[in-house]
This record gives sequence, C-alpha cells and structure tokens, in this order.
Amino acid sequence: MTTPRLDITGDVCPMTFVKVKMGLQRVPPLGTLTVRLKEEALKNVISSLKSEGHRVTNVSHAEGIFLLEVTKGG
Amino acid sequence: MSEADYKELKKGGMMRQAEAGHFSVRLHVVGGHLDTRQLRAIQEAADRFGRRQVHLTSRQGVEIPHVPQDALAAMREFLAPSGVGVGVCGPTVRTVTACQGCKVCPSGVIDSPELAEAVDREFYGKPVPHKFKVGISGCVNNCMKAEENDAGIKGWIEPRWETPSCTYCGVCAAVCPTKAIAMSEDHRTLTVDRSLCIGCGDCITSCPSGGMREESRGYRLFAGGKFGRAPFLGKRILGVLKTKEEALEAITAVLGFFRTHGKPGERYGDTLQRTGFPALETFVKERTGLP
Repeated sequence: MTTPRLDITGDVCPMTFVKVKMGLQRVPPLGTLTVRLKEEALKNVISSLKSEGHRVTNVSHAEGIFLLEVTKGG
Repeated sequence: MSEADYKELKKGGMMRQAEAGHFSVRLHVVGGHLDTRQLRAIQEAADRFGRRQVHLTSRQGVEIPHVPQDALAAMREFLAPSGVGVGVCGPTVRTVTACQGCKVCPSGVIDSPELAEAVDREFYGKPVPHKFKVGISGCVNNCMKAEENDAGIKGWIEPRWETPSCTYCGVCAAVCPTKAIAMSEDHRTLTVDRSLCIGCGDCITSCPSGGMREESRGYRLFAGGKFGRAPFLGKRILGVLKTKEEALEAITAVLGFFRTHGKPGERYGDTLQRTGFPALETFVKERTGLP
C-alpha cells in the first residue's frame, strides 16, 4: 500500500491542521501520512501534531515546500 | 490653593481638572487587576463623590473624574476599607502594568502579575528624577509593550540545541522569525545567534525530533523606553534572568542608575542617550553580579 499523501500548500491556518487531522482519520494507528505544505504552515502543523500525540518522522524540503512524514499516534 | 499644593495633590494621584475646583482621582491598580469588591467600592465612590463615571486609563488604571476638592478626603476614606488606594502621578514610580501571565494565558512564560505585585510593593510612588514606568509581558508576544516602558520585562524561552537527537531537517531554521538559526551547507552543524533570538520558542515547539530543547524560561529586561512627544524604544540589557528575584534585583539596579545619573525632569531614555547604554549595563552588572 502506498503512503497516503495530503497537499495543504493551498491552505491557510486553521484549515491546514484541520485537513491534516482529517487526513489522519484515513490512516490506522502507527500508520504514515505524507503532508506537503508551505514553510509558513510548519510551526502550527508540527506543534499541533506533537500535542495530539503524533510524530513527524521525516522531513524533506525543496524550494520552500516541505514534505512531512507523519506517523499517527497509537 | 497654591500651585505647590496642586503639585502635592497631583503626586498623590489627585489631578486638577480643566473645570475649576474639580479633580480626577487616580486609583492604585497593579497590572490591571481588581477584585469585584474593589470594583463595587469604586462604583459606589463614583456615584457618591463624582458624576457616576469612571475613566479607564491607558495604563490599566482607573480614575474617578469630577470629584469636588472638598470631597477628596472623604472619598479616600470611603475607598480604603475595600482595599482601594489612591494612585500616584508626578516624578514617581508609576502604575506597574502586566498581562495575566502564565497562570491564565496559554502563551504565558512567566507569572507577570506576581512580578508586577513585587515591583509595586517595592517601588510604587517612590520618588525618581522623572516618571518611571514598568510594564511586564508574560511572553514575547509582548501585549504589555515592554519596550515602551522605562523598565520592561518579557517572558523569554532560551533554546538549546542537542546534537544527538537532531535530524538536521531544517524546520527550526525555517520557522525562526528572525533567522537566528543557521544550518551549515553540509547540514551537519547548526548555529543559534543569541543576539538575533527573540525568545519565542517557535524552534522548540516545531522541532520534530527533540533536538531543539528548552534551555530555560525566564525574564528579559529592557530599559529606557518611552512614548509621549519623542518616542524611544527601550533596549535589551543583561542575559535572560532566571527568577522573579533576579528580575526584581535587576529592576532595582536600573532604578538605582536613574537615581544616580538622571537629572530632575529628564526621562530615563534621555538619561541613557546621554550616558550610553553600556554605562547602564556595567552599573547593573556591578550592583547585581548578574550576567
């Protein structure tokens, strides 16, 4: 199964995290979701993910666009 | 009544109004905090001695305007049992402003009302060369505008970078609002420029791996700010102060410098323009031994 992928580069806070939360509903516990987002959404998305018990397990970026690999909390 | 008498009344928070024979009476408020018993007493006093009005000042204070001169003493006596004191004006340490701090605000880093109470207890109404204002913000969002005050404080988070857990993902450098974090070309070293860091902690809340951690939470001191006719922003002095006691000690030394070097009628910012900020920093460090 390929990792589900979510693009929130066109969204602004708070929709960015709302969409990530909805995206994670499609993922089983400890499963992975890849999120594509802009630099300005990084802080709110990552801090919200951490406070809800999820983990960002990998980060890569190119030209101001970041790709987060999010592992859903168990 | 002589001009000298009016001046004395003003120092005690009773300001002569444009309307002859009437005063606007400033009350003693710390950090904008009043309990409901005090509020009821203020309401009753405005009904009895004023014109059923109160004025909320620009520094979280309360004034009761339109009080006739012959009612001033009676109003003071009426307010005292409810724990409402009369304020100050003139060349004194003024109302200490504060946000609600970390006990109420989710962004709060320090307990601003607690420090405001301590500063107020120690210095409120004490004579200085010119008015001296203290403002305390619980975090660097700076709702209380620390740099507008003669002495201002901001709650501050110091980050610490820990090599073992860092994945060099670059998120901290990307979220840093002042670009204080730089990653080397080979992505194996990270530097935090302390002079650019504004203590927001965004690098810590955004760090996915736990490589960026909290070194400490504390108090950042700014001195020499003012608004009025010729505004000037206060400048940061000393390192991050770790405790309320250290913050109070530093503010005490900042005031001590003003008392030693300030000329009567000269605002602190102007004193510092004359002496230079390094002179203040040296003085405060010598007095307190703080870094």
